[in-house]
Amino acid sequence: MMEKPKVAWYWCASCGGCEESFVDLAEKLLDVFDAVDIVFCPVAMDFKKEDIEKMPDGSITVALINGGIRLKEHEEMVKLLRRKSKIVIAYGACSSWGGIPGLANLYDIDEVISRKYLEVPSIENPNKTLPSHITKVKIPDLPNEVEIELTKVLPRLLPLDRVIEVDYYIPGCPPTPDVFWNALQAILSGKLPPKGTVLGASQKSLCDECPLNETKPEKILLKDLKRPHEVIPKPDECLLAQGLLCLGPVTRGGCGALCVKANMPCTGCFGPLDNIIDYGGKALSYIASILDYSPMEEDKLKEVYDKIPDWVGLVYKYYLPASKFGGKVNIKKSKAFKEVVEYD
Amino acid sequence: MSQENFEPKIVVFACNWCAYSAADLAGTSRMHYPPNVRIIRVMCSGRVDPQFVLDAFSQGADGVLVAGCHPPADCHYIDGNYKAFRRLMLLERLLESMGIEKERFRLEWISASEAEKWVKVIKEMVETLKKLGPLKPKLEVTK
Amino acid sequence: MSEEMEKETEEPRIGVYICHCGLNIAATVDVEEVAEYAKTLPNVVISRHYVFMCSEPGQDLIREDIKKYNLNRVVVASCSPSMHEPTFRSVLESAGLNKYLLEMANIREHCSWIHDDKKAATEKAKDLVRMAVAKARLLEPLEEKEFSVKPSVLIVGGGVSGMRAALELSQYGFDIYLIDKSPTLGGKAALVGYVDSTRGSEIVGKMVKLIKSNPKIHVFTNSELVEFSGFPGNFKVKIRVNPRYVDEKCNLCGECEKVCPVEVANEYNFGLNKRKAIFLPFKESYPPYYVIDDKVCTKCGECVKVCNYNAINLDQQPSTLELDVGALIVAIGYDPYEPSRGEYGYGLSDNVITLFQLERLLDPDGPTNGELIINGKEPKSIAFIFCVGSRNTGPNAKPYCSRMCCTSSLNSAIKIKDKYPDVDIYILYKDIMTYGNDERLYEEAGKRFIKFVKFEEPPDVILDKEKLFVDVYEYTIQEYLRIPVDLVVLAVGMVPRHDMDELTAVIRASCSGDGFLKELHLKLAPVDSSTKGVFLAGAATGPKNIIESIKMGSAAASKAMSLLSKGKVTAEPTIAHVNEDLCSGCGICVSVCPYDAISIKVVDGDRLANVEEALCMGCGSCATACPSGAMQHLGFKDIQIKSQISALFGGGV
Repeated sequence: MMEKPKVAWYWCASCGGCEESFVDLAEKLLDVFDAVDIVFCPVAMDFKKEDIEKMPDGSITVALINGGIRLKEHEEMVKLLRRKSKIVIAYGACSSWGGIPGLANLYDIDEVISRKYLEVPSIENPNKTLPSHITKVKIPDLPNEVEIELTKVLPRLLPLDRVIEVDYYIPGCPPTPDVFWNALQAILSGKLPPKGTVLGASQKSLCDECPLNETKPEKILLKDLKRPHEVIPKPDECLLAQGLLCLGPVTRGGCGALCVKANMPCTGCFGPLDNIIDYGGKALSYIASILDYSPMEEDKLKEVYDKIPDWVGLVYKYYLPASKFGGKVNIKKSKAFKEVVEYD
Repeated sequence: MSQENFEPKIVVFACNWCAYSAADLAGTSRMHYPPNVRIIRVMCSGRVDPQFVLDAFSQGADGVLVAGCHPPADCHYIDGNYKAFRRLMLLERLLESMGIEKERFRLEWISASEAEKWVKVIKEMVETLKKLGPLKPKLEVTK
Repeated sequence: MSEEMEKETEEPRIGVYICHCGLNIAATVDVEEVAEYAKTLPNVVISRHYVFMCSEPGQDLIREDIKKYNLNRVVVASCSPSMHEPTFRSVLESAGLNKYLLEMANIREHCSWIHDDKKAATEKAKDLVRMAVAKARLLEPLEEKEFSVKPSVLIVGGGVSGMRAALELSQYGFDIYLIDKSPTLGGKAALVGYVDSTRGSEIVGKMVKLIKSNPKIHVFTNSELVEFSGFPGNFKVKIRVNPRYVDEKCNLCGECEKVCPVEVANEYNFGLNKRKAIFLPFKESYPPYYVIDDKVCTKCGECVKVCNYNAINLDQQPSTLELDVGALIVAIGYDPYEPSRGEYGYGLSDNVITLFQLERLLDPDGPTNGELIINGKEPKSIAFIFCVGSRNTGPNAKPYCSRMCCTSSLNSAIKIKDKYPDVDIYILYKDIMTYGNDERLYEEAGKRFIKFVKFEEPPDVILDKEKLFVDVYEYTIQEYLRIPVDLVVLAVGMVPRHDMDELTAVIRASCSGDGFLKELHLKLAPVDSSTKGVFLAGAATGPKNIIESIKMGSAAASKAMSLLSKGKVTAEPTIAHVNEDLCSGCGICVSVCPYDAISIKVVDGDRLANVEEALCMGCGSCATACPSGAMQHLGFKDIQIKSQISALFGGGV
């Protein structure tokens, strides 16, 4: 009997949504379990790091890794998995481009730590307790104190491919079951596309599969931009044409336009298409292109642009760590939390 | 890094009909200015994608200048400059949010006869950037 | 695969040529060092420096190297491409290489001529060469497409500028289709206007005579352009020929007019008198027969009964004319500014008239045979008010100056004074814009004691029972004046035609902010419209006098001629190109193209952008706007520009 392909599933800075998307395969899950041998899956099974370390290099057929690289431990684990795997796939928006947690790169890491552990209104921390790297614990029945090591935080959240070589990407926040299934078929078929390919999704932008594409007027020339809470959009008219900032045109298709079908503009979770240099830059380009203002109407245009309070959050929602700058530059680094952060 | 010897590198996207011709005229008139600019020729400022500007900065440009034809009526392609204006005005906001000092990026309208303006803008940018210092060290090295 | 194509899909083999330009470059840039440096760049097969690359021996260097070293890309570092890009492109072509596989580095105007520091200039030249080599690696062969042209022109508008264009073009053997919405040729010049002492109608008469006898000019009056498509050299037009109900059997006896029960304001006398539903527009209308205005005709049939020539057919239907033409000239003219009711008393008194109405009164072929009589009386005192409807003088006024009204008004004032020496004439003016030689009119008016009254605030016209007064604050003497007059003439200007939108919807030409048709480029293309192959003439583009309109008609004809003369049109290949594998049909590009060169086509259910190559002018705006990178600007593709940036900072290709 031919050996079943070995599959590893690992999560880094992950919300668990990618894991749920796996479960969303529903009955197809049984086919997956039939076809593969899951050798590592911390979310569901009790495999340990040593189990992986013991495996021969390259013995894992494919490792699917989701979540951004936020902790030193993530870095170590993915490097380990890279050695042990033939194919590594960045699964989901976070490992592909950093994802929403990547927006933390707009701040000095110290600001993030401080906010999280000391300042946030929902925290009660009068002693200003912070995570410590090594904690000594006395365990009953053991003679000496035990050291528990807590991993440190990396100063910037990184996409997977900034840490290890990535073979393929599966886009989405999370990837839809269809996309995942298509990608899985491609991998298990043995007919692998060129390295670096984004699997399971479309080569074209979301507009290609959006049912509202054909309702667009001949020319879209907007005088105003609207945020989703400001208007109840007409359900049978292109959302962009109605002034909502739908990122469908600049985002890879393949999700079936789920958000648009629910009357919400696309936020870009399937990421950029293949030839794009910077997703956010391209998004700004087409949005500005269709606003009907001349340089003589600078004030009016400024007013329209002012309506969107957070352009970075809008166009870089899933993509900031993979963008040209990777995050905010010129940040003053205080390096105050040596116990918590693995500074450069 | 010694700031005194710092020579900023400025990438200029110049439109063929106006700004590039102004640069030519500055040359024909033997007007002297610092050697810090490198021009990338495009047919129209409407071809300047914000992605190019981001790319230039991330690769080491200390400053980026986009130069096109004067609105309302000089653009050879009618209103390419209007689009450039809208796109780059939006990009400026993004650059600011990303921590890039706003003096590093400029959008200027320079007609084919405005060689003096060309020289003036460049001289100003070089001066300003010398004071601001290089951008590259302030970029986070992610690998 | 052809040998040429084979060459070009291989690994790039680049030849680099550094020009000394005598001492122009070599005195500042170390050309030898740059040439040596270029040799170290990947894909550079040969690198030379030479004293004058544009000279014959310089060009031969390139030609020989292309053959000897099997080069498939060439970089020339020299002067600005605006000087010699065409030269070096021809060199490539003569050596069997596609001429778009050339990249130039400007190391003269942008380097040697502007720097003193030789070291810095040489380093800069190296950077520029490295950037050019990086782009050259990614250049692709591009083919200029040729389209044959139809040897015919459609001219919309039969006024003086349209007729002039028709006469010019007919000399070249083209078929000219000259159409006019009204039932006659001649436009406004047939009714008003002078060139020195020659009446507009005389000029019109001469042109019509030449057109009549010209077998190449096909005239369709009462006709409108309703559809327009295609591309330069190959337009498809649809013209609706509205029925005139009277044909060439008409011999102008006028019996029909006598019995027609319908009377309406006569637009050919600007409302001064009335005409019937069946009418002859003016004495020398062309075609020279009556016409029925079916908007007011009651089809009572009285005219048919009295017509001895059987020239009337009340059942005539509109017909359609479909034509293939190579170019279009738009010369639809203007409308006079119509003051609103009450503006300076207009519409409230018969003694407040416009300049156009005045000229009709003074015209020997006009409603009063040239006698200045209003309501049976000759006015003894006349006030002209200038700038009515122009120069922001009133709430509905246009902001611009209408150019011709000062001259026309003074011309008429002088005529009146010569015919009726006892009449008092006041010119109430803001400024006197009798430009060029028409300045003499100002002197002549002064000689005849025509009085000039300057205002800053527009005057008021007061109607007091039968009497008319003009109240004005005279600027020079700084006093309020109340001038009693018998007649007020409003020197109204020109405004865009009321039906401009109907036409622009069909031909997709753009208008400027003031509503007139806009030329493509004020300096570089003053008679081109924004739609390639459509040319503009006359007052449709803004206020003009008769001579200026005629000149522009001539210019538009020349432009149309240059488009059609070679029998074919080539399109520059550095245009937009859609990668249909990536295009989602999102339509952003369509919204952005200033030439309407892009449309969405549906192929097997897929929506795809489609670039009309003959219309694309190669600006690249669509490529920048394209959110998926499917639209690229050939010769300025994303990867090509990016390669220049990367090469500059040493990041490889």
